[in-house]
Amino acid sequence: MDFLLGVLSVMLQQFAGIFFVKIVFDHIHALNGWTFYEILFIYGIAATGRSIHHIFFDNLWTLGWQYIRPGKFDRLLIRPINPLFHFIADRLQQDGFGQLFIGIIVIGTAMPHLGISWGILEFFILVIMIISSGFIFVAINLFFATLSFWMVDSLPIVWTIFNLSDFARYPLTIYHKGIRHFLTWIVPYGFTAFYPAAYFIKGSGFERLALLTPVVAIFSCIIAYWFWNRGLKAFTSTGS
Amino acid sequence: MRKYFEFARVQMQVHAAYSAWFWANTFSILLRMLVIYFFWKAVYSSRTEIEGLPFDGMITYIIIAMFLQMFVSGVGQELAHTIKDGNVAIELMRPYNLITRLVAMDLGDKVIHFVRGALPLSILAFIFMDITLPTTWQAGLLFLLSAFMGIWIGTFFDLLIAILAFWTINLWGLQVMKEAVISFFSGALVPLILFPEWFQTISLFLPFQAMVYVPVAIYTGILTGTEAWLALGSQIFWVVSLFILLRILWSIAIKKVTIFGG
Repeated sequence: MDFLLGVLSVMLQQFAGIFFVKIVFDHIHALNGWTFYEILFIYGIAATGRSIHHIFFDNLWTLGWQYIRPGKFDRLLIRPINPLFHFIADRLQQDGFGQLFIGIIVIGTAMPHLGISWGILEFFILVIMIISSGFIFVAINLFFATLSFWMVDSLPIVWTIFNLSDFARYPLTIYHKGIRHFLTWIVPYGFTAFYPAAYFIKGSGFERLALLTPVVAIFSCIIAYWFWNRGLKAFTSTGS
Repeated sequence: MRKYFEFARVQMQVHAAYSAWFWANTFSILLRMLVIYFFWKAVYSSRTEIEGLPFDGMITYIIIAMFLQMFVSGVGQELAHTIKDGNVAIELMRPYNLITRLVAMDLGDKVIHFVRGALPLSILAFIFMDITLPTTWQAGLLFLLSAFMGIWIGTFFDLLIAILAFWTINLWGLQVMKEAVISFFSGALVPLILFPEWFQTISLFLPFQAMVYVPVAIYTGILTGTEAWLALGSQIFWVVSLFILLRILWSIAIKKVTIFGG
């Protein structure tokens, strides 16, 4: 019952966002040259990528207030496994399956309308793109959650940064140049949805940049993990 | 009455103490405003009006609705957690009415939110985002009245949902579901006149449009004259019936506690 409620609520939340786009597109034909299905496709990749984060890495949200503040984190440090792995594996969030489900449906709906033929290679690239998208979400959250080691609870910061991903639900071309660069090179939410989607949209002009998505994902994860280790060191040397 | 006023005052002080969350909130709202602005700018890039609304009318609606939506939720979270961890049993023995106390605290929260958050941010929006004032001063007054009722409808509805915590564990899911339904039907995302006919008809019979759509539609001149007064009437209906429903559900829930708690 509670599982169903969780899944259903996330699906409804996603659906509200899609419905909004649909309503707007009932009145216009294209948004800055992007069609309804293209927007839907971007949305679907964002949702699916985020679901990876939501299902497996949801515990990142709780580092400050559930682990460091009550002193629960010290327990992880004395165990003979990687504390990050232990911390992440502490919880699997089933509610995220609702998002995964919606994401796949949305992608499936949009796919036939993009004007490209889907072969094995395209599917393979799509899967790689989605996994990369998920890990960019993870890396960004991990990076800012790590600040908790110095300030006890960085949740307000993590949450604010996470809200930046709202920008990524629409084509980055509608924004001011400054915002676009920020979301591409500083906090790379652009690579969680828009660029991967643009790879499959002919004539979008971003096909080359889109190929960087897995590279950006790996690079972000390395930086975040390096930062995490620094945080861990700072934490253990001040703590007991 | 005085003790409830004290609760509201203390809550304002508590709120002022958590400045990290204040800045996180303010910044997030700013981000959302930016997304909204650029999105609608792109929508209007190839046309001058949608359903009779020009760009500045639309952006005014969307931004005012966004601000109002922040006030239509209530103190349900608090109540739900009190119920969940069992503290509700102790709270019920204290010399005040739990719901009234929570509503008083919520009021304190809202005042602070308005003064520190919504007010400066909306001034910013007026200066930088082509937002317009109400079409007439009557519309402005009616908006204030209507928004006031919308906020109460939202508060009561939120408490109603929170009482369901007596029966479910997944509070987070419940909260997300509530938010989704409200942003769906309340007209917080787009004016309801953009919705398909059948959807508008359904929402006429639900309390959600009375939370956001009615006040903001009055503000932007979508609802005028008799229509506006009728909409206000429906708001009164919802305030009263949700209040009664809340009383009934709460007394049923309390009986449950008394049975389990002895």
